[in-house]
Parts: sequence; structure tokens; C-alpha cells
Amino acid sequence: MAKEVFMPKLSSTMAVGTLLQWFKEEGDPVEVGEPIFEIMTDKINIEVEAYEEGILLKKYFQEDEEIPVNTVIAYIGTEGEEVPAESPGISGEDIESDDSATTNAKHEEVAENTSEITDNSVDNNERVRATPAARRVARENDITLNTITGTGPNGRIHEQDVLQAIQENTVLVTPLAEKIAKENAIDLSMVSGNGVHGKIEKADVLEFISSQELPTNGDAPVERVKLKGLRKAIADKMLESVRSIPHVTLTSDVDMKKVIELRKALLPVIEKQTGYRISYTEIIMKTVAHVLGNHPKVNAALIDNEIVYNQDVNIGLAVAVENGLIVPSVKQANKKGLAELTKVSKELGAKSRENRLTPDEMRGSTFTISNLGMFAIDGFTPIINPPETAILGVGRIVEKPVVVDGQIEVRPIMVLSLSFDHRVIDGAPAAAFLTELKSSLEDPYSLLV
Amino acid sequence: MREITYLEAVREAMSIEMRKNEDVYILGEDIGVYGGAFGVTRGMIEEFGPERVRNTPISEAGIAGAAVGSALTGMRPILEIQFSDFITIALDQMVNQAAKIRYMYGGKGKVPMVLRTPSGSGTGAAAQHSQSLEAWVAHIPGLKVVQPSTAYDAKGLLKAAMDDDNPVIFYEHKLLYKTSSEVPEEEYSIPLGKADIKREGSDVTIVATAIMVHKALEAAKELDKEGISVEVVDPRTIVPLDKETIVNSVKKTGKLIVVHEAVKRGGIGGEIASVVAESEAFDYLDAPIKRLGGAESPVPYNPELERAHIPQVPDIITAVKETLNRA
Amino acid sequence: MDMLKLNVPNSITNDKLIDLYKQMWQIRLFDEKVDEFFAKGMIHGTTHLAVGQEASAAGVCALLTVEDKITSTHRGHGHCIAKGATPDKMMAELFGRTTGYCKGKGGSMHIADVEMGNLGANGIVAGGIPLAVGSALTAKMKRLDYVTVCFFGDGATNEGSFHEAVNLASIWDLPVIFVCENNQYGMSGSVKEMTRVENIADRAQAYGIPGEVADGNDIIAMMNVTDKAIKRARSGEGPTLIEAKTYRWKGHSKSDAKKYRTRDEEQEWRKKDPIKRYKEVLIEAGLLTEEKAEEVRLAVKKEIEDAVKFAEASPQPTLNDLLTDVYA
Repeated sequence: MAKEVFMPKLSSTMAVGTLLQWFKEEGDPVEVGEPIFEIMTDKINIEVEAYEEGILLKKYFQEDEEIPVNTVIAYIGTEGEEVPAESPGISGEDIESDDSATTNAKHEEVAENTSEITDNSVDNNERVRATPAARRVARENDITLNTITGTGPNGRIHEQDVLQAIQENTVLVTPLAEKIAKENAIDLSMVSGNGVHGKIEKADVLEFISSQELPTNGDAPVERVKLKGLRKAIADKMLESVRSIPHVTLTSDVDMKKVIELRKALLPVIEKQTGYRISYTEIIMKTVAHVLGNHPKVNAALIDNEIVYNQDVNIGLAVAVENGLIVPSVKQANKKGLAELTKVSKELGAKSRENRLTPDEMRGSTFTISNLGMFAIDGFTPIINPPETAILGVGRIVEKPVVVDGQIEVRPIMVLSLSFDHRVIDGAPAAAFLTELKSSLEDPYSLLV
Repeated sequence: MREITYLEAVREAMSIEMRKNEDVYILGEDIGVYGGAFGVTRGMIEEFGPERVRNTPISEAGIAGAAVGSALTGMRPILEIQFSDFITIALDQMVNQAAKIRYMYGGKGKVPMVLRTPSGSGTGAAAQHSQSLEAWVAHIPGLKVVQPSTAYDAKGLLKAAMDDDNPVIFYEHKLLYKTSSEVPEEEYSIPLGKADIKREGSDVTIVATAIMVHKALEAAKELDKEGISVEVVDPRTIVPLDKETIVNSVKKTGKLIVVHEAVKRGGIGGEIASVVAESEAFDYLDAPIKRLGGAESPVPYNPELERAHIPQVPDIITAVKETLNRA
Repeated sequence: MDMLKLNVPNSITNDKLIDLYKQMWQIRLFDEKVDEFFAKGMIHGTTHLAVGQEASAAGVCALLTVEDKITSTHRGHGHCIAKGATPDKMMAELFGRTTGYCKGKGGSMHIADVEMGNLGANGIVAGGIPLAVGSALTAKMKRLDYVTVCFFGDGATNEGSFHEAVNLASIWDLPVIFVCENNQYGMSGSVKEMTRVENIADRAQAYGIPGEVADGNDIIAMMNVTDKAIKRARSGEGPTLIEAKTYRWKGHSKSDAKKYRTRDEEQEWRKKDPIKRYKEVLIEAGLLTEEKAEEVRLAVKKEIEDAVKFAEASPQPTLNDLLTDVYA
């Protein structure tokens, strides 16, 4: 009987997955463990491997389609076997608990699993709130409870939460690598995989063994932390950006005198209206969104040799979180007033730090702002958030002597650093954008015109 | 099969036994021509005569002691205490004498007697005629405590109680007297210490006693419509308690709610919850154990207050949903 | 040598009269030995001694058969011996040994010997009275010939159980004999302080049954009054309340400074020593000599010493015994 291949549910927040590419065509033979297609979730791209061998009988979806979890995507069976003409919808098999599921959607620990330690599940004494059943299952599976998010009241971890985490935490490893690791009593969670999506291969285990045997870095004591989770995702993304994008960074000083006055005037008004205190970031964001409207080339993306000009202005806001950086997206920032921008930005910031962002809130940005103004940083060279065209780095506001109308005056000065993708635009349009941004911030009332 | 009421089942069990065994007799207040305060012994004095359906003065301590003394010397008395509240007056004889005689005497002598008594609220009889004091006697080693919830169980359990060589406190719930179920005409015995799974389920275990069994079943029916599968366990006897059935049920469902009419504080629910917490089922618990019991007040007279005093079906439904994080 | 015919019930033989003299010494010397052991801390718990009250226990039980029953009180060693218990198993019980009447689980206040018709001592004041009524109810319902003697103290007659039980026995004409050993004190409370009636026996009137006052330190008087009550009981006429006026020489229990009574009062009652009085009667009747009497006493003394040896040599219960005998 033909076996279902379906969209795996890879995280507690995952509702749909995007089919990125097929590795097999209808009629192709499929081996157990062979990748059959690749999907993208809100967190990560992964290859889905076959758990059954046979012939790929039917594919129900095309590349780029969004498919709800557990939906039957394909069938594997024997040559000539009858399968439905259309996807029967939700699979009858439960991928989360059924070993006979036909896909083996194991993957490297993703950001969620390492960063989902919320204030709710851990109290000050690091004691985890979990039911006895959850503790038993965790014990039986050698899982640490404080890596798991509880869905019960006060973040209490229930049995189902642990089962889910087990599903998500499974280490991806080849059978040979697993065998070698076992023979050498190696804890696989200590080994970095260099295979597809971090799959641990024979070579990885052997390298790990040799690294354990050879002293490195003289006798200096070191702590080794495996690159994984959010850190790994950022590493991959940054590397991809600098490898593929020719970056150019422009800088310009901005006199923030009037922005400071504006903020002072609006602060009580917006606080009363929203409960949040407006910061410079929102004023800069508002100005950027406004100016981008006049410079659509800067609000573009380079995707598969096509330059895509975005109609919406969605500002990505780089937020530092524990162990990394997350970029939630403020949608249609050009159409929002300062009060709403303040509210949305603060809420996204909080959700980022609490790891509560929805997939939708994490995607769709067309231009990113990275603000290091809280540090003693003036200018820097920000790395573009692909596939966007540009990123704005915001430095601190510091009083400096400047010449105004022939007189030396002390003015609050902030350095803006704009990195752009030279494949998409050239220096002149980027400079024109930055210049208009500077003048708009120096005279923010022009935004009202 | 024919259906008879709980009250008739109790009477039938006694009558069958009294026809067979001359040592069995019943004593109590107004059990003669009056037929007992709730009519349980109606017609029995006509069949068995005043020697064996022994109408007594209003002397709970005296008649309880007489029952114990006659049991110790070879009779098998059934003592009817008119309202379970009055067990307080007979407690010295039950607690200090009946329960302890065998042990104090190093295993010599036995006290084969049944103390039958109607308990529970819902009749508007207020504070001194509505209590459920089963936890008091359940605390005493040497006594056994039975709480049937159906006519079928009442007949079978009373037979087992009469056959038992120990003092057994047999609680009859007043509001159940008129409920009916299929009851075989012939004699049968339900062993003391064997719980009955009144409804099988997989999501949550409700251990309920006496009339609460019916409320739990009603709640289970409602919850079933929402896809929640409730298992209702009726211990039937709280001493001895069928720990195995309860523990196994909780191992299966991972959740436990205990429901009884008696005041929650110090009630048997605490004992059942503890039994589970101490057992191998602990590692299967996937939610805090909940107890539903009577409010910490005497039973009030006003009908609304009287209802509010004890757990009702919506309370059970809410408790189940809270336990399942579905509130 | 001529023998005076004593005024005793017909069923009492001369041999029985000598046996009773021995039995009174058993009761006294057993309790004296227990007193000594408690004073030395050799027995734990507490105990209540019946020294001075030997005549009522021995006199009443002299009329009973093995089939007849008694219920007893916290001050029950004497009743127990009088109903046929042997000092060795009693002493073993007080030592908490497995050879005791209750395998060491009951102790001083709970000695019972159900097979010999002793339904048990009782730690609850008046607790045994309804039990005796129940026992009598069994006799009546099963048409058995036995009577039940219910011993209790003056203090118990202020308990509700006493009144409920006597009333029940009265309305049902039960074969029970209520024997109130009025030793003048319920712990520290004197009868004069705690009751208004002159005699406890007067309370019988309230239940429509005979009430008899007897000299509790005169074994012959006790035998005669009991004989009458038993005849009434066996003929189905119902219960009798007997009041045996007596005195406990010792304190209520092992720790009693006896502040509630005077040493003079105690001396007055010691002059009425029931054993000495009985000995004089027996000697006067030509049934006993001083030498023989001393022989009896010494023999009992030896018996009590042997009982102690038996108890001391007996095994302690094991922890496995803790949970046995809770249920039948």
C-alpha cells in the first residue's frame, strides 16, 4: 500500500511550510533516508527525507506553494499502484508520535529549541515547573527540562511538550556516524555536523575524535561551544550576505537638534496614547519610511537575477536578543503614524526578546535599520539583510562643535551608515537617499508637508 | 432484567439474608411498624417479627453497644442509625469498642455487624441531618466503610457487608433511595474493596463516591460532546480502598479529580489524592490533582445554599477543563 | 471437728469456699506484684489495681459457669482471675509478650479471654455496659442459658451509656446482672460529690428493675446477692443492679498521690480487709486453719513468682504482628 509523504510539523509554532524544491520526479525510485524535497519554515529551511523506499508515485504540490502541516504532499509505493488524483488533505498518520510516518524530518536544533527558555518556565531558582509525567518522559529520553517551553498555566511543562521537544531535538546523523560515535562513546550532541543541514557524518565524528586527542591552543584552557541554533542561523545568513553581496557603506553626520525637540514634544502625548515612550528609533524609522517612498530603488530586493521593487515599505528592526539577533518587520511603516510605530516597535522588540514572534512578524522586511546608538558607536559598516538592497546603521547622538552660519556651535550629532548592494544600485542613488534622509531628520517638520 | 430502587435493593438484601440466617437481625429506632425513617425496613417486622426486627429506644450509644456485644457473642446484627449524623452519638461503641476489640484481644473474638445509615444532603433537613461523615470512620483501623451508588451495588455490597466478620459502616445516600437500576432477584455479593469503573475514558480520571458518581457521569456525558473522554471510577468501598484500580486509571489518563459530597477539608478525597501521589501513578500525573467536596460550612437549610454547598455537574465540568488546560 | 454451715448458695461447695480464699489471694498478690513492677519501671503504660476489692470479683464469679459471660473495666485483673484466667498469661500480657491473653497487644486495660466467657476489660468508662447488654441479647435471641455479668465502677453510672444500656436490658428483660463496684471514687471524684442518690442501687428504680446494696467486702454477701440476681436472670425476669460497697486501697492508677482522701479513711477501710474477714469466717466455720491459710498464701505467692518467670521468658512480638488481627 502506498505510503503518505506529508508536510512535517517541525515546531510548535509551525502551521504551514513552503515547498522550496523537489529532488525527485514522479516515477523516480526513492531510498530510505534520501531527501525528496526541501521546505522552508518560519525558522529554517530543511530537506525532508523519505522514511519508506519505493517509487515516488505522485506529487500534489509545486515549488513555492505554501502547504499546511500534515497535508499529504506525495505518495511513495510500488510501480503502478493507485493513488488519489488530488491530495487527500491532512494525513491520517501522526508525524509527531508515529514511528511509521514516511518522512524523517529530523533536523538540527533550530533557534526555537535553544532560546525558548522563557521566564515562565524557569523561576529564579532555575527550578522548572513541570508535571510528574513530563519529568518522567524527559528522564526516559535524557532531555533537560529547562530547554522546553511549557504550554500549561504558568509555563508548566506537560508530557506533550516534552514529546514535542523530543521530536524537534532529534540529532541528525548518518547510521555509520552513529555507529562510530557509539563505538567511541561519543556524545553526538557535542559533534558539529557538516553534512546537509548539519547532518553528522562519519568525517565529523572522526574529526571530533581527533580534536579530542590533540591538544590545541597550547595548554590554554578553552571552552568549546558548538555553533548551533540561532547562532548558527545568523552565522549562515551573515556569511551568505557578505559572500554574495558587494557591500558599499556611506556615512553622513546628522544634526539631531530638531529631532530631540520633536521627541520631547511628542513623548508625553504618545505615552498617554499608547503607554509606550517614543524613542529616536521610531522617528528615524518614520523618516526612513517616508524617504524610501521617494527612492524605490533602495526599497528593492534582488531575487534570482530579478530586481524586485517592493510596493510596501516594511522596515526590519534589528533586535539584540540573548545569544543573537532577530529582525522583526514593521509592516507598512510609511503608512503608520509615530504613535502606532512606537507601539508596534516596542511590542515587536518585547516579543523578540521573549521569543514570541510569529512567522509573519519575522518576514517581509524590505529595508533594515540597525541601531547601536545606545553604545559608544558613531559609524559602522552594517551587513545587508538579504535579499534587501540596503541597511541603515544608526550611531549614538553626541554633542559636537559644528559650524553653523559661520559660527561654531555645539550640536547633537548622529552618524548614519548606509550599506547598499552595488549589484542593485550605484553610489549616486544611494547617496541621494542618504542625503534626503539627513535633511529630513534635520528638519523633521518637512515630513508634515 | 427487572428494575428496583436502591431502597428496595437494601431491603431485599437484608430480607434474603434474614430468611437464611437466624443469627442476622436488625435493630434501630422506628424500624418496626413505622418501617424506618426512610421506609427501608417497611414490611420487615411483619415478616420477621419484633424479635428480629427490633425496635429500639432512642439510645444510639446503647443500641450500638448492644449490637457490638451481640456480635461478639455470636449474632450478626444490622444496626440502623436513623441519620448518619447520629453516628456521632454511637461513635464510642463503633470506634473504641467494635473497631478495636479483635486487635486489643490479640485476634480473639470478632464483631460481625453492619451499621447501616442514610447520609447526605439535598433533602432540606439542614445541618444536623445532612452530613457525610464517612471520612471519620474511614480513619479508624478495624472498621470497613461502604458507599454504594446504585441499587445493583447496594444489594451486592450489603450482602458482602453482612457476610463480613468485621464491623462495616454502610452508607446509604438518601437521594439515591428512589433511584432504580437492574437488580437480579437472586442473591449475589460484590466484594468489599473492588472499585467499579462506571465509565471508561482516556483523558481524565474522576474518582467519585455515592451520589457524586451520578454527577460525574452526567458531567462526563456533557464533556464527551466536546471530545473530552472522562473515566469515572466508583471505589464503592472506601475501606478497603481499591487502590490498584484508581492507580491504574490515573496511569492511563495522567489526570485525577476526586469528587465527594463530604466537606473537602479532611475528606476521603485527600486520602485518594495522596494514595495516587504516593503510588507509581505519580510519574504519570500530567496535571495537578483536583478535589471537589462540600464547602467548609455546615449544610445550610436554604435550597440554593444547600445546592451550592456541594459539588454540582457544572463544577465537575469546570474542574475537568481546568485540569486539561481547556478552561 | 464440727463444721458450721455457712449461709452460702447451694451450688457453693466447701472445696469451692477454699478455692475462693485462694483466688482472693491470687487477685491481691497479682496486683501487688504488678504494683511493684510499675514502681520499679519494669512494666510500661499504666495500670489500675483492685487491691481491697477482691470479694466482689471472687464472690460474683463464684456463681458463674464457663458459659456465662462477664464484661469488665479498666480495673479488671481481679475479674479476669475470678473468671478463670491464669496469672501466667495475664502477667505475660502486662509484659507485652506473645504468650499473653492478647499476644501483648492489649495490655492491662484490655485483657480478655473470650473462650472463658470474659468479653474483656475496657478502657472506656461504662464502655462495657452496652456490650454486656448485647451479650445478653444474644443469649435471649439464641435461647441460650448463659447470663452476662457486667462489672463497672461508681463513676460509670454517670455515663449515658450506663443509663441507655440498663434501660435496654430492662425493656427487653435481658439476662444481665449489673454489678457496680462502688469503691467510693471515680478517679478523684467521690461518690458523695458526684451523685445525689444515697445508693447507686437506687438508680435501678428509674428503670423498673431491682436494685440491691451489698457489702462488697463480704464475699459471702456478694455470693448471695449474685445468686438471687442470676436466678432472676435465668428465669427470664430481666436484669438486676447490684451495688457492692467497697474500697480501693491503692490509688486510681500508678501515679496517684491520693490527695482527695485522708489516710484515716484508708485505715478505716483496711480494717474491713475482705481477705482477712473471709479467713476468719472460714476458720470459725472449721474449714480453714491459720497454718493452712498461710500455706495457701505462700502457694499463691509462688504461683505469682512463677507467672513472672513465665512472662519474662516469653517472646516479644515481632514487627510483623503490628498489622495482624486488625480485621477478622
